[in-house]
Amino acid sequence: MVDLDEAAINSPSNDATGHLDVDLTDETQDFRMLNNLSFLTDTPEASLPKRGEKDFEPNPTLFQADVLSASRRAMHNALSYPRLHNPKNIVVGVYAPNGPAPAPSATSKLDTIAEHSPGKKPAPTSIGVSPDACVYVTNPKGQLFRTIGQADRWSRIWLLPEEALYLLERGSLDIRWPRCAVGDGEEDDVEDSGIPMSLQAAYACFLGHGGLTMERFSVYTGLRRLGYTVIRAPGWTQDSNIEAAGAKSSDELENQLLRRQGPGLAGIFTRFLEWLHASPPTTAMGPVVGFGFHRGYVDLFRKLSLIPYYDPATASPSSATLPYAVVFHVYKPSTHIRKSAPPSPDFRIAVVNTRTNTTMPTLSQIGTLLESTPFDPPAANKPLYVRLRHGQRNVILAAVDQGVVSYLRVADAAFGKEKIYQSQAVRGNKQRGPPRNKFKKQ
Amino acid sequence: MNTNPELPIPISYIAGNYFIFSVDAATFLRREHNICGILAGTLPQVPQQNVFTGLPLELMPEEARFLVEEGVACIVDEVNFQKQGMQSLVEEDCKKYLKELESQGIETMQMLLRHKERQKEGALKKIAEKKATKAKKAELKQAASDATADDSASPFFEDSQPSTPSQVSSRRSSTLGSRDAMRITPAISHPPLPQQPPAEHLLPLPQVPSSYPLFAHLHSKGYFLFPGLRFGCQYLAYPGDPLRFHSHFLVVSTLWDEELDLMKIISGGRLGTGVKKGFLIGGTDKNLEESSDAGSNVRTFSIEWAGM
Amino acid sequence: MAKPTPSPPIPNPSALTTFISSRPTTSATTLQVLHNLQYQHLWTSLKIHDLQTAFPISLVSGLPPHRVYTHPDEQLYMVEHGLREEDIELDRMFVLPTVQGEPWSLEKMAAVFDALPNIGEEGLRSETQPSDAVQGSAGADKAAKLAEYYEYRAKGHRTKEWGGKRLLLAMIDKGMGGEGTVVYYVVQEGTVKPRQN
Repeated sequence: MVDLDEAAINSPSNDATGHLDVDLTDETQDFRMLNNLSFLTDTPEASLPKRGEKDFEPNPTLFQADVLSASRRAMHNALSYPRLHNPKNIVVGVYAPNGPAPAPSATSKLDTIAEHSPGKKPAPTSIGVSPDACVYVTNPKGQLFRTIGQADRWSRIWLLPEEALYLLERGSLDIRWPRCAVGDGEEDDVEDSGIPMSLQAAYACFLGHGGLTMERFSVYTGLRRLGYTVIRAPGWTQDSNIEAAGAKSSDELENQLLRRQGPGLAGIFTRFLEWLHASPPTTAMGPVVGFGFHRGYVDLFRKLSLIPYYDPATASPSSATLPYAVVFHVYKPSTHIRKSAPPSPDFRIAVVNTRTNTTMPTLSQIGTLLESTPFDPPAANKPLYVRLRHGQRNVILAAVDQGVVSYLRVADAAFGKEKIYQSQAVRGNKQRGPPRNKFKKQ
Repeated sequence: MNTNPELPIPISYIAGNYFIFSVDAATFLRREHNICGILAGTLPQVPQQNVFTGLPLELMPEEARFLVEEGVACIVDEVNFQKQGMQSLVEEDCKKYLKELESQGIETMQMLLRHKERQKEGALKKIAEKKATKAKKAELKQAASDATADDSASPFFEDSQPSTPSQVSSRRSSTLGSRDAMRITPAISHPPLPQQPPAEHLLPLPQVPSSYPLFAHLHSKGYFLFPGLRFGCQYLAYPGDPLRFHSHFLVVSTLWDEELDLMKIISGGRLGTGVKKGFLIGGTDKNLEESSDAGSNVRTFSIEWAGM
Repeated sequence: MAKPTPSPPIPNPSALTTFISSRPTTSATTLQVLHNLQYQHLWTSLKIHDLQTAFPISLVSGLPPHRVYTHPDEQLYMVEHGLREEDIELDRMFVLPTVQGEPWSLEKMAAVFDALPNIGEEGLRSETQPSDAVQGSAGADKAAKLAEYYEYRAKGHRTKEWGGKRLLLAMIDKGMGGEGTVVYYVVQEGTVKPRQN
């Protein structure tokens, strides 16, 4: 039932068609609009509501009071909607407050397994899931588990706190208290006690667990609701940044590869710059362009480009410091993901709490953050402006103010790499007013 | 809907944030105290969108502080309250609670089945009506055979059949047992935990930023305040419930003698005018006596572009 | 290209520079704003007021060629009573001259407002002479309406129904060596709802 209705509501793909110009999440929307999406009926044509009409200011009319109380009633109704699980397709998870542990029912069997692998440590991580995981699901069913959770040897799926909280909140998972948490059984007894965990209890148990802050959860859940796949990035914890040195090596590899690939044009310029640096006295003593023969403007402009610039391609990867570190890897809904080997993400997100970080990040914070991301140059065949906007490295800042999230994309635009005079030579006289362009950059 | 929750309303303090989980408390605070918070949760009925969000309600520390000062709410150390509360549950209470959930679940299932039956009846009725009109037409025309009428009706009927996902639907709703009960994830933890947490789990007044006097001042004048990051300010001030009204001001707080860049006034004024809002700057006047009401010694200035 | 030429004659100082140097005892910022109001915005009967506040501040006041600010409720009243902006006598407006980068604070703003005469009090309407045009052509009906409006406005000034004290904040752009742009913002004491047009 619930799943059917869910399918009836727009997914982000067809959501984009209607009102691109207004972001409905910018301001509080009238919940009466939501009532148009009749939940308990099976009308499939329900779609996201249009922006509701609002008034400029309150007036003492009865009409306005009526409309307001209708809006509030609608809101109350929408917020009262229960989280129900049909016994036929319920998915049950159990809270494991002390982190991942081997299946208790398997302990007898485990002994035999343990004999086969005597080197295994009894630490929670020995079962091959993140130590931050805190809920296990024995009957994972449904689409959502394709991108959520990690399986252990007993084919249980372990959920990180944000995953568990998100699934419970959307009504897709019934989480139970373990026996140990309700004063029943041993301290490490994480068998299902049969008592369902409330939304309230879930927030109390999962927020603050394993580095999950409300700001991070707001970003996670906001993007998940729009259909993106969101997974933790190595920068999630400060100390895993050190661990990330290993994980980052792939990025570094990517980097080296690009550096090796690029010696054609980039190499020439590097050598040229070196040459320039090596010969400052000449320019100080005489004309910059020098006396020799010049067969074209390209030569002249190249000699005129005296000011060294920063080339993002040559930046050495550095490890960023929280909060200016990538904590989420985000994939578009269309990207196919294998949980065991996720591809390179479509977006990298750093989460900033604007209540504790009240000023703009410094240039060095942004610089370090960008340097921690892989080199991602724009396609060479794109127009100049698009290339500059795309930048050589990029990251998204999610600024969170008490639950309100704003996303900002920060990119490292390499103006110095765009040799306007060269592209002119190639593209001929396609551009209008070439002298203006020449002076604009460099 | 206009039920008044028991006071003081417990505000859950979890990992540095303030939350309300009860729908009655959320609507009460909005209706009676002009406190809106931000709905931070996913609505289970429409989980794949961000336009309408659900419980919990995330409160700004300013809102939490105000409510405690008003005597309307108290701050609860929710993490420890949950942990110790669940740990000390008596078996009897557990059983009672589970029993209650089960009967609610059965009731819900019955409701859903009844609803489905009504829908099915409605659909059948429509088909019958359609058939009747078709038949009439056929009679009038005398040409069409009965078979075509059947053909057009039956696929419609079959279509509606598999779309009812529950297999229990064929059974009489009155015979539902505990196995058929809908399982429920409750929104709040009471029951089984007590409504009012014991004193040992209560926390002191929330820490608030230096903009709190301005927040309290505007709130006392009837404004509804929202986090302002989206518009590059500290608060958005609404003249009435944001459900029904547009905001009037982009609000920025400053200390009385804090150096203020004039450019901030200009850019704020320009941004505000561009979205038909005023830019409001204010703070506590050091020369004015502080009365018992927070924010009574605050001075504010509204700024708009002059258009010249 | 680089042929040495005799240095060109020094150009005459601009009108603004001449104006500023002619009044060495008044701050250049104040004079520049006054000059801008007079010649760019065509204000008349401009005056300079030196305020006795904790901070030495001078204001400029004058009559704009047309109304600069109308409170939304005042506008509503005018529409309902069939009054147009041109029918109403212009108010003397106060302008606070500032320059980009000047240290400012809430305290300073409050001091300026405290020194400002109350809206509707002395110094605001005393200068303006009743316009004969209105009385001559529009007839008794309009005159009665206007009288009613002025009475209502006087009451409104006390209740602040149509806003409290207000001034124009003028800021001179000093970027790029000061290219002379002056921007104007309406500042009002208290929470005054924004205009909707």
